[in-house]
Amino acid sequence: MIFLTVGTQFPFDRLVRAVDNIFDQDLIDEEVFAQIGETSYKPRNFESVASLEKKVFDERFKRASSVISHAGVGTITMALKNHKPLLVMPRMKRYKEHVNDHQVATAKKFEELGHILAVYDVKELPDGIRKLKNFIPLKRKASPDAIADRIRRFLNSLQD
Amino acid sequence: MVLSKNNKMKICLTASAGGHLTELLKLADGWQEYEVFYVSTANMVAKKLRQYGPTHVVGECNREHLLRVILVLMRCIGVILRERPNVVISTGAAVGCIVCYLGKLLGAKVIWIDSIANVEWISLSGRMVRHIADLFLVQWPELAEQYSNVEYVGAAI
Repeated sequence: MIFLTVGTQFPFDRLVRAVDNIFDQDLIDEEVFAQIGETSYKPRNFESVASLEKKVFDERFKRASSVISHAGVGTITMALKNHKPLLVMPRMKRYKEHVNDHQVATAKKFEELGHILAVYDVKELPDGIRKLKNFIPLKRKASPDAIADRIRRFLNSLQD
Repeated sequence: MVLSKNNKMKICLTASAGGHLTELLKLADGWQEYEVFYVSTANMVAKKLRQYGPTHVVGECNREHLLRVILVLMRCIGVILRERPNVVISTGAAVGCIVCYLGKLLGAKVIWIDSIANVEWISLSGRMVRHIADLFLVQWPELAEQYSNVEYVGAAI
């Protein structure tokens, strides 16, 4: 199953519609399940819900063979943690999908580092989905402990 | 510094639901020994946050919807006046920015960790908070070189 998720803050119909259209061209030979936010668009080719409870979301995420989403940090984090092949398409300000275009830079950076695949237009999506099948994401070495340690030192210094 | 009844610093942890909150929670080791409370934007995450501490949901807002911003601002004022934190820690976005400013007005120290989503520039909220932050961290080394008074020590994700 391919899990399609667009986060919960705003809908992202451009991506959902594009995946739906690709289905018509027989380019997807797997079941798709989608979390698409509050939107009037209803996919013809796969099951979708507006939102999922966190627990159910996590379950679906873990069960998926791969994930397609916006370039949100929440989804990227989950994909890295669960070692899932992830294909993102960034939200764009010009389509009123976000307040700015920072998702483009986020996608490019994580793509460059080999952690995710990215497409920047619906036209590139079929190719992206083809690549997703065999994509093996590079593991990421994060350093939350270093930040936590810096915060702890700062807080300690306030009490001196 | 005015401490709470148990003589501990009280820390306000604030982030929008979604990626911002995911990043913030990864850093929890940093404030383990202190009294904390949370300010976030959606009921969906409140259940989870309440396991860690008192939680206030103030609703979602961004700069495109001014009326929402005012509504959320009023709620944040209520929370901060009641809770009186000694420190505010945030990973963004708009709500984090509002709470940092309110906390600062009441004398709190401000720690801002700009989201890892921001690769080319610091976020708009971050640029606003930079003027009042006591500790400002970014998650890409290139950004620390671009701005003054900004530190890179690692990435949460």
